[in-house]
Amino acid sequence: MPDTVELRAIHKTYDHFVAVDHLSLNIREGSVYGLLGPNGAGKTTTIRMMIGINMPDEGEVWLFGEKFHRQQLQRIGYLPEERGLYKRMKVLDHLVFLGRLHGLSGAEARKRSLNWCERLQISDWVQKKVEELSKGMQQKIQFVAALLHDPDLLILDEPFSGLDPANAVMLKDVMVELKKSGKTILFSTHRMDQVERLCDSICLIDHGRSVLEGDLKKIKASYGKNTVQMQYEGDPPFDHNELIQSVNNYGNYVELRLKPGADAQQLLRTACEHARISRFELVEPSLEEIFLDVVGQNA
Amino acid sequence: MHNAWLVFQREYLERIRSKAFIIMTLLMPVFMASTILIPAFLSDMKPGVTRRIVLVANNADIADAIKQQLLSQQTKSDTPSQSKSVPASKSASPRYSIEIDTNTTDAERDKLRRDVSDSKIDGFLWLSDSNLANRKVVYSAKDVTDFGESIELRNAVQSALVKRQLGQKGMSDAEIETVLKPIDFDSVRIEKGKEGASGIAVFLVSFTMVMLLYVNVLVYGFAVMRSIIEEKNSRILEVLLSSVTAKQLLAGKIIGVGAVGLTQIFIWLAIAGAFSLPGLMSSRSMLSNVHIPMVGVLAFGIFFILGYFLYSTMYAALGSMVNSDQEAQQVQWPAMLPIIFAIVLSTPVLQHPNSQLAFWTSMVPFFAPILMFVRIMAETPPMWQIILCIALMLLTTWGLLGLSSRIYRVGILMYGKRPTLPELRKWLRYAG
Repeated sequence: MPDTVELRAIHKTYDHFVAVDHLSLNIREGSVYGLLGPNGAGKTTTIRMMIGINMPDEGEVWLFGEKFHRQQLQRIGYLPEERGLYKRMKVLDHLVFLGRLHGLSGAEARKRSLNWCERLQISDWVQKKVEELSKGMQQKIQFVAALLHDPDLLILDEPFSGLDPANAVMLKDVMVELKKSGKTILFSTHRMDQVERLCDSICLIDHGRSVLEGDLKKIKASYGKNTVQMQYEGDPPFDHNELIQSVNNYGNYVELRLKPGADAQQLLRTACEHARISRFELVEPSLEEIFLDVVGQNA
Repeated sequence: MHNAWLVFQREYLERIRSKAFIIMTLLMPVFMASTILIPAFLSDMKPGVTRRIVLVANNADIADAIKQQLLSQQTKSDTPSQSKSVPASKSASPRYSIEIDTNTTDAERDKLRRDVSDSKIDGFLWLSDSNLANRKVVYSAKDVTDFGESIELRNAVQSALVKRQLGQKGMSDAEIETVLKPIDFDSVRIEKGKEGASGIAVFLVSFTMVMLLYVNVLVYGFAVMRSIIEEKNSRILEVLLSSVTAKQLLAGKIIGVGAVGLTQIFIWLAIAGAFSLPGLMSSRSMLSNVHIPMVGVLAFGIFFILGYFLYSTMYAALGSMVNSDQEAQQVQWPAMLPIIFAIVLSTPVLQHPNSQLAFWTSMVPFFAPILMFVRIMAETPPMWQIILCIALMLLTTWGLLGLSSRIYRVGILMYGKRPTLPELRKWLRYAG
């Protein structure tokens, strides 16, 4: 089965600034894919090239097993990072308009809009003008707009930014449900906790280059269980310890990265001499640590 | 095509439904009607006021002749416009009450000046022998800005003196009347061997239509520009661009705004028609002179639409380069310059519609909406010229649409500063 998205060494330069540098990635059908990277890494440019808003200078974009052509856009839903709607239009009219642009009939777009609005608890607002809505509510409207035509590929640029926790959960639930029904989801975010919980695969972009790409579980496994999570009372000496590479200390909870080849048992013995240990666990590094590690190395 | 149609539909419906459109569409006829009706109403009021004028002359005969002339002129000038609508009482009350004064001393002049200041009289005509010898007459009054009145007085003095001199040469009154009878002069345009509209009508109609063209192209071109800036600021474009191409978006928008403009004009024409139709039925006399040739209406329609598309495409490109209305004001001169230039050229072209200048300038697509239209009104040029001109305009518009949509595609996603010319060249490359 062909991958839903396949980028073949796409490259984009603006003047002398390389926005995307020969980036390749593959997104499996039915997976949730996280596009990560610091600000200005080229995530949005990559996404825009994927859906034909910008054209790559070099390289090719393949979608659903075919080279990019505009009819494919009918199968894609897109929530851009720059949120925007026509302020003076009524919410329902606006949704119908966007649905029809994606090939739905007026009646069908209307029916689906009403269903989704009910689902996301914004039914009371469909006859209001967009400008009367709060930011978070406008964001939900745009999310609905991206889903209306039941796309096979959903591209969400920073979908959770600006949402309160309740709405973020609502959005996450919809994403999980869509994944179960076989849709492919690509989203970019800074929030590593969500990526860890939601994504099957990731691509970490820095300075327009892919620095880490692949299956999230495999990536984490490749780092090995070199991280210690410890809960303690007392004052164990973590500074200048020859076993420890880096420390993230919260006072009575600490995350330690061991130096390559260091023995965790020896660390436990040292800690016992200085403090009461209530929990000591050897784990894989969190994505945040990997992110900081990789981006730090490249900086 | 379907997408452009959807964009068009949204643009058109949203605009037609907006309060601004409804208010503007309804207020404009009210405004136009009041600019026409209020002055007419006011000048209708005027004859009720009698002007008290003193004629000061050494020779009482001359003064009397002028007085008679003035009074007769007045009844005459009232006669043609004496249609059913004008009350008969109007011509019965004389507009001037005239006194004759034969004292031409400076003291008398000072006294009359005081009388004017004290509003005892409205004005006086100074016709002393020395003034008449120099053929110089002075009318002194508190307000002398009513040119109609000045002309009336001048005509009265002039014809009274001419009549008097001719009479002294032994001509009878009847002979004098015949000699002085004005000649009715009219120039008439010949088209396909038949006589058509008169020269003055062609000029007036051309001028009015050129102004309509100019105002509407600018107003709606600017509306396109503003609508792009608004979309840029609301950040909606990225969503739209994920299903519509920049070209479709631009075309839909331009046609949508243009259709709104046409709708507005049709509503205005309908209102104007509804109000003026009864008048037209009852008195066909006045407007029959100024009948608009059918070919002119057709040409207006064609060149209005083509001109609008050409200019609004240019406005769209400018709109995608800027971020605010203020900036838009600053950059709109490249679009305004050619149209103003064309208006300046329209007078020489109208005077010599077949000159080299007229031919070459009317072939420039940016001038054509005005200049080719004016040429068609003045003297229909050969068909091949009109077709060539329209083809050139269509080609230019198409090319400009391509260029504009490239600028648009890059510009609408850039929220920074306005590009310089070299940067603009790079934009065109990025969009490739």
